[in-house]
Amino acid sequence: MGMQQGCVTVVDDDALVLRSLGRLLESRGFAVQTFSSPQEFLERGERAVRGCILMDLSMPGLNGLELQQALAEAKDSRPVVFISGRGSVPSSVEAMKAGAMDFLTKPLDEEKLIGAVQAALAKDRVAQEKRAQHASITGRLATLTLRERQVLGRVVEGKLNKQIAAELGTAEKTIKVHRARMMRKMQVDSLAELVRAWTLTQPQQI
Amino acid sequence: MDAHPAPANLVQALRLRLPSWLPAALAVAVGYYLAARLGFALTLKPHPISTLWPPNALLAAALLLAQTRSWWWLLLAALPAHLLAELQSGVPTAMVLGWYVSNCGEALIGAAIVRAFVQGPLRLDSLRNAAIFLLGTALAAPLVSSFVDAALVHLIGWGDAAYWELVRARFFSNVLAELTIVPLIVTWAAVATSTPHETRPARYAESAALFTGLLLVCVLVFDLPHREAHASPAVYYAPLPFLLWAAALGPAASASALALMTIATIWGAVHGLGPFAGRTPQDTAREMQLFLTAATVPMLLLSVALAERSRVEREAREQRRQLTHLSRVAMLGELSGGIAHQLNQPLTAILSNAQAAQHYLANKNADPALLSEILADIVAADKRAGDVIEGLRALFKRGEAHFETLDPNRLVREVLALAQGDLATRGIEVSMRLQPNLPEVRADRVQLEQVLLNLVVNAAEAMRACPPKDRLLIVQSTATAGRIHVNVIDRGSGFKVSPEQLFEAFYTTKPQGLGLGLSISKSIVTAHGGRLRATTRRGGGAAFLVTLPALPKQ
Repeated sequence: MGMQQGCVTVVDDDALVLRSLGRLLESRGFAVQTFSSPQEFLERGERAVRGCILMDLSMPGLNGLELQQALAEAKDSRPVVFISGRGSVPSSVEAMKAGAMDFLTKPLDEEKLIGAVQAALAKDRVAQEKRAQHASITGRLATLTLRERQVLGRVVEGKLNKQIAAELGTAEKTIKVHRARMMRKMQVDSLAELVRAWTLTQPQQI
Repeated sequence: MDAHPAPANLVQALRLRLPSWLPAALAVAVGYYLAARLGFALTLKPHPISTLWPPNALLAAALLLAQTRSWWWLLLAALPAHLLAELQSGVPTAMVLGWYVSNCGEALIGAAIVRAFVQGPLRLDSLRNAAIFLLGTALAAPLVSSFVDAALVHLIGWGDAAYWELVRARFFSNVLAELTIVPLIVTWAAVATSTPHETRPARYAESAALFTGLLLVCVLVFDLPHREAHASPAVYYAPLPFLLWAAALGPAASASALALMTIATIWGAVHGLGPFAGRTPQDTAREMQLFLTAATVPMLLLSVALAERSRVEREAREQRRQLTHLSRVAMLGELSGGIAHQLNQPLTAILSNAQAAQHYLANKNADPALLSEILADIVAADKRAGDVIEGLRALFKRGEAHFETLDPNRLVREVLALAQGDLATRGIEVSMRLQPNLPEVRADRVQLEQVLLNLVVNAAEAMRACPPKDRLLIVQSTATAGRIHVNVIDRGSGFKVSPEQLFEAFYTTKPQGLGLGLSISKSIVTAHGGRLRATTRRGGGAAFLVTLPALPKQ
């Protein structure tokens, strides 16, 4: 446990509740950051920290929906778990629509809280891995020459070297050389691996 | 055990078999006898007819208070008392029995007329009841019975008085008796059966002063020898201030004062004292009866009218109090979600803190400093939950108004603490702009909290449709010469009707609203000598200003 799990950021305007949640999560081995208002969190919270956000749904100034929006604008994609004093259906529906991971009611059931936090952290970890992969593939793509990129585009479409050569107006042998260099730069050994890496860079897949 | 019931059970079993009219019948028998003795004592010798003959009236009062089905038993109970009292005085037996019949007749007629118009035991607590009693029991019944009575006297041939003379004497005697004795018994029965109000020592002192004064005046005016043949008319008015005073104290005090004066007057005349002495017995009796009847009827009506008015006022006050409580409870119902949230916060803190401490202890890495911080937080959270419940308890209670010296700022803080849960769930930010060291006010805490809470809840409701950044509630307190002001300002939709309409009962914009909040708030503030005003703000929203008279600074 600990930092490699990511950090749980707790936001609650009630100092007593904030401290108690921080202590409970720390006692269960989580790294915890606490903020006493959504404003403070938006102004002083580090966006680069990985983990998840646990926050009260109803705080003066900003409600859950608005904070969700503000986080999106700040490119903070951490999963959010909402907690609320009133477990009314409309507010939970609203929270889930806003993209919340989970919605817990006070007083909190410890196991449900830990479960929700662990699930949120796991989701963030997966998303982070995907993002890291995406970043590395995008980096590799950037090293390709224009010709190599043209070849890649056609290879992933399933075209044969002969067809590509015809389309680009060069010899099949030249295409073979471009293709081998492109595969090396993309650090893939097979056509299947190349297709998978390339698909990951497509925006809708993230 | 079962074969030998305990003596207490036996007594109880026996008592259960006793008819319910028996105690009343015994009381009537004893009372009737004593009343007859009193009647003889107040008889002008050698006139055979008493100036005031109380037994008939006592019987009438007993019937008026009893259930109709036990009337016959009560009339029967009077027979032995009647025989015992009358036969001692050497009256022929036929005459004694004839009087028994006419006495019972008078009581029955008087009680039946009243019972026809007033359900249940008679209470002299309204002018209507008093009028029915005066016409039925004090006028109609004596009228009928005096004819019967005089006829019986003539038939039996006892005495030598003329028929009309007998009718007139008998009528006035009976009217005065009904007017004096029945209200006395009926009003004291009402006092004895009413739920005991706390009677202040001052009230006892007042009654003592009243009756001592009245007794002194009556003795001076009616029970001392008069030198002149005809007393100045002014002396008859001497008891008036005391009679008015008694009327203000209620029908029972009034009836008692009138009975005291009546007995003192007749006693004086019987002993040849006071302004009525020194004439023929017939003249003395008639003059006294007219004087006493003329004094009794208006005083009795006055006391009943005053009592009725104060009763109506008391009922209206009680109704207003219930309505105020109802609207307060309705408002707390609106707040219940917020209050649940407010209790949930400390409960969450207590639970999570305690669980954290358990984990630290289980992992054997408990830092004593951390544990003591955790415990301090648990204590603080518990106190906070207790405060919420304490604040609610007072508002749910339905009590009498209790005026005390209050700090307006503290009141504002307490109300905002109570509404905090509701305001938080609505995403409303609160800005408290309280002027320090405000003068204090004299007010009922619960009622003023109700007013402020109502204004805060209204403000919150008005901002329901606002964008979140505009959901700001401002509560301001200021002081000007001799007054303090609390202003509750929102940025909501304002109001589209005139301020007068806003404060009308049953005007509401809320789907579940009673429409009583503002109307009751206004009447509370007015009752505190203050004003409640509403204005719309130029930038949107409404402002409600509570102004109260301030106590002088010490």
